[in-house]
Amino acid sequence: MMTPPAPRTPLQPPTRSDADPPADAADVALAASGDGQAFERLYRANAARIHGLARRLAGPDRADELTQDVFIRAWRKLHTFRGEAKFSTWLHRLAVHHILGRRRAEGIARQRMADDTALDLAPARRAGMELRLDFETAIARLPDGMRQVFVLHDVEGYRHEEIAASLGIAVGTSKSQLSRARMALRRHLDA
Amino acid sequence: MHEHEWADRLSSYLDDDLDPAARAEVEAALAASPALRDLLDELRAVQQQARRLADREPAADLWPGIARAIGVASPRRPARLHGAWLAAAGLALVAGSAAVTWVVATRAATPPAAVAAAAPAPATVAALPVTRRPEATRSVAALEAALAAGRARLDSGTVAVLERNLAIIDSALADAERALAADPSNAYLNSHLAATYRRKLALLRDAAALIARS
Repeated sequence: MMTPPAPRTPLQPPTRSDADPPADAADVALAASGDGQAFERLYRANAARIHGLARRLAGPDRADELTQDVFIRAWRKLHTFRGEAKFSTWLHRLAVHHILGRRRAEGIARQRMADDTALDLAPARRAGMELRLDFETAIARLPDGMRQVFVLHDVEGYRHEEIAASLGIAVGTSKSQLSRARMALRRHLDA
Repeated sequence: MHEHEWADRLSSYLDDDLDPAARAEVEAALAASPALRDLLDELRAVQQQARRLADREPAADLWPGIARAIGVASPRRPARLHGAWLAAAGLALVAGSAAVTWVVATRAATPPAAVAAAAPAPATVAALPVTRRPEATRSVAALEAALAAGRARLDSGTVAVLERNLAIIDSALADAERALAADPSNAYLNSHLAATYRRKLALLRDAAALIARS
């Protein structure tokens, strides 16, 4: 009997510290009161990280569009930011939810979990140079769900329980997808 | 057992996600198998390389599109916070507070109808005083918190002027609120309260902008 999917809960990205520095807190307060220049400063400070997340979760072709979406959404939801965590943490969580939500809405999720036949686990050693991709390209070529688990766990630092809840999969599935992703990517480690 | 049959367990071992019995079994297998040790090293290398991935700016500047979408394409006026401006703002507030004092004083001697008739035409009359509206109080609270956290970045002279003017504003707001409590429909008092609150917001915004740029 299939286990019903766990209800989705917001991801709680790991926080590096618990408070924004004064300049950032000032910009957040200003932006929340309608200051576009302050919001632009927040964009400049966070664009690289959000764009990297979008690129790794959804592919380079969608990264620009999704990054813009995230910041537009952040502007509209800024009044909900209570300052309990850093602004960058709040923004990151919003970005993960938006990007994964878009993927689900577009029906990509149905294809997301790879079966073993789609995955090359055979090589015990790194492939020759002609077969190697750079690490980021190799991540991009992982099957969708495997890539999402790998990015959220190994790149972004989320726990399996959080990933499973957000993706609507079992924790065990998240762990096995991560294992398969690591096995596939070991062929493409940078020298 | 083939190495990729061990993959899940080694991956969990790497993440310190095994119970003690399973962990001991893996460690025994690692001790006995160079191939498994090599595999573990490779998985660890993948994990470490993932952690080192660098973020980079988008190739194109995405801000113009974002600004258009949220309607902030035009830059706001730059902050004008400096000593002379702050002092002028304070004097204007003193004059405004004096007007409130006059209204409160004359109200005691003059029937309310006469006071209302003498007041200027109403600018804004809200169902709820602006100082009680949740959105407004949230904005002010956030800006005050930002100012408290960042005031050390401002020079002492600016901080002194800022604190003096905020005290004048808060006193003016308190006067207006007390007067409004006794005469809630007074158009002048409502308008004065709203205008004073907007001054407070503007002052806090400019101070926060200075902190953000310091």
